[in-house]
Amino acid sequence: MERVLTDFVKALRNSSIRVSPAETLDATEVLEKIGYDNRELLKNTLSITLSKTPEEKEKFNDCFEDFFREKLSSDDNEIKDSQQVPAEQKINSELAQNLLQDSYADIELSISKAGEEAEIREIKYFTQRAVFSRRILDLMGVANLEEELNLLGQLDKSEMPSDLEQKLRNELTNLRERVSDYVQQQFLLHGDVSGEQLREQVFKSMNMGQIDRSYLHEVHSLVRRMAKKLANMHSRRKKNYRRGKLDIRRTIRDNWVNQGILFNLRWSYKKVDKPKILVICDVSGSVGSYARFMLMFLFSLTEVVSKIRAFVFSSHLGEVTDEFKGGNLENSIETALSKYGGGSTDYSHALSDFVSLCIDEIDKKTTVVILGDARNNFGPEKADLLKSVYERSKQVYWLNPEGKYRWNTGDSVMNTYSAYCTKVFECGTLVQLERVISTLLKTAI
Amino acid sequence: MSKGPAKTIIDITKGFAKHQYICSEEISTAIYLANELDKPVLIEGPPGVGKTELANTAALYYKKALLRLQCYEGLDETKALYEWRYGKQLLYTQILKEQMQEVLEGAKGLKDSLDRLMEFEDIFFSEQFLESRPLLQSLTSEEGNVLLIDEVDKADEEFEALLLEILSEFQVSIPELGVKKAQVKPLVILTSNNSREIGDALKRRCLHLYIPFPDAKLERDIIKARVPEVSKKLQVQLVNFVQGLRELDLKKLPAISETIDWAKTLILLNADELNQELAKNTLNVLLKHQQDIDVVQKEVPRLVMASDA
Repeated sequence: MERVLTDFVKALRNSSIRVSPAETLDATEVLEKIGYDNRELLKNTLSITLSKTPEEKEKFNDCFEDFFREKLSSDDNEIKDSQQVPAEQKINSELAQNLLQDSYADIELSISKAGEEAEIREIKYFTQRAVFSRRILDLMGVANLEEELNLLGQLDKSEMPSDLEQKLRNELTNLRERVSDYVQQQFLLHGDVSGEQLREQVFKSMNMGQIDRSYLHEVHSLVRRMAKKLANMHSRRKKNYRRGKLDIRRTIRDNWVNQGILFNLRWSYKKVDKPKILVICDVSGSVGSYARFMLMFLFSLTEVVSKIRAFVFSSHLGEVTDEFKGGNLENSIETALSKYGGGSTDYSHALSDFVSLCIDEIDKKTTVVILGDARNNFGPEKADLLKSVYERSKQVYWLNPEGKYRWNTGDSVMNTYSAYCTKVFECGTLVQLERVISTLLKTAI
Repeated sequence: MSKGPAKTIIDITKGFAKHQYICSEEISTAIYLANELDKPVLIEGPPGVGKTELANTAALYYKKALLRLQCYEGLDETKALYEWRYGKQLLYTQILKEQMQEVLEGAKGLKDSLDRLMEFEDIFFSEQFLESRPLLQSLTSEEGNVLLIDEVDKADEEFEALLLEILSEFQVSIPELGVKKAQVKPLVILTSNNSREIGDALKRRCLHLYIPFPDAKLERDIIKARVPEVSKKLQVQLVNFVQGLRELDLKKLPAISETIDWAKTLILLNADELNQELAKNTLNVLLKHQQDIDVVQKEVPRLVMASDA
């Protein structure tokens, strides 16, 4: 029975419920007490021991229903008495005997036995379903039975197939259906999701510009999860900064009771400033999709970063913070991109717009992040504008979605600008983006 | 207690009902498992569905003392676990100073005095000066008890780390004294309102129970147990009304505790059935935000109509 539990745990993990080995052990211990007889009790118990958030509980319910599918015992009542099978001697194969005599549950059992032999657990892709069905049927000896049935048909001279043949053929069709059901169910438990994990891995290391629009939704949820992880990490780290100085006045006042001996020390806590981040994104054709992910990422970080303002430009620069704060990221990104995107890139213009808009906002706590490929269409660079920003701010980060080998080729003026940046990063994939933002949070707080 | 698990669970449900706590099968299963496995239960759910009350009732049911630790931001081990009685320790050192004369009398040279000082029993860090806080109290008590760690999500993450040793091993290490192990393992119940995600490490060590808003039947049973004076008709009506409210988009949905309060209010007003006027006038018992009340005012006629079904 332990095998059942480990299988079930594997299925849960596939539905992205995180189950640790310790929890599996707990469940084993519990099952020794309560057994497998009472379905409702089993479900409640496993749900309490294995799933640990409301969302997980929901997934757990689905998974449980899938895995411990109730056997349709009503079908058992189909008449199986052997008196109706006179010509038994002609059909010898084991499968035929089983089909004619065994109960529904027994057949189910032999299906899953064959399934195990066929290593159904290894099923990964939906295209494999047919292969596995075939393999299971073969293992159960369907080929033999078919042959025998054909023979039987030839022996029988009458036009109508005999009762026995008819019955067996029916049973065989049923069996096929049940095997394909079984494979489908196993596929749901063991297959699909590792496909999803694979896909996520690919998304993470794929160049953001090449991710197809149709996957946007999935990528969005991925980005949100990554952002949440970062937020957790950094909100924790922030606490360490609260160790302050000794507050002598309060210490003395609070220690009157100890005859003036300073036992209970009082500390004055440092007020933690959340960082101020200004983001400038190039949204011209080539860089637009990067900007989309970067903004997604940053605005999912509001737990850690409260003050964030976003600007986008291609030729003109404009602020889009309010659109993003509204909530629906996907829509707001679309509107922002359609409003400002599409023009030819003009860094000098954009920078001067930026400086006139909010140079006064920049102080020594501000981090400025610029996302762009620094391709200026051979226009003026106006690096002095960036210099003034650099001098006022705490730090300036430049993220370039192009690979390093392409910087400074053609109309790219990365070198000129990087002189006035605290750091420049290559930032083409989600993994790189995650790393950059993590660094950013570390230094910005 | 060697009855079958299903039987024990039914017993728990009944026993809790005697203390006016009506629980779903899931809840009683969780309590049963917590007892069998000696594992803490982490209860999550919206406020007012009876998380804290569950701990109270468990204490009554098992006839054990309830120790409660209310969590808040900045809670640390000196308030949750133990603290030294500095004042007393201070006095002790002063007494010691006076005694020192006697101890050192006749000692020759510095080395001799030092040896004598070493022989002297040191109780500066000993249990006499240890002030135990709820967590330590719960571990050291000999009769066993129910330990309620309320709203653990309000405490800092560091505090969670502190809980880990207690919850998995039922022991604490006090650096000056060594490890203290529980004589009788307490039944530990943690509650959380999900204002922050609880760490995986903590979750892994706990059984996890989610208490959602109750369905209509369960809620009626609860009202029947808690406010028995309510007439059958009113009971059905008010539960349907509240269930209807939960489907609206409100800032704070009314929970069971609000339903109970409302039932009590209606009894106070001598009502035996619900009408629009009554519902409108008593909405403020159910809803805690003016915005919500404004929204619901318009819906009252519909909800009252629907509640008769």
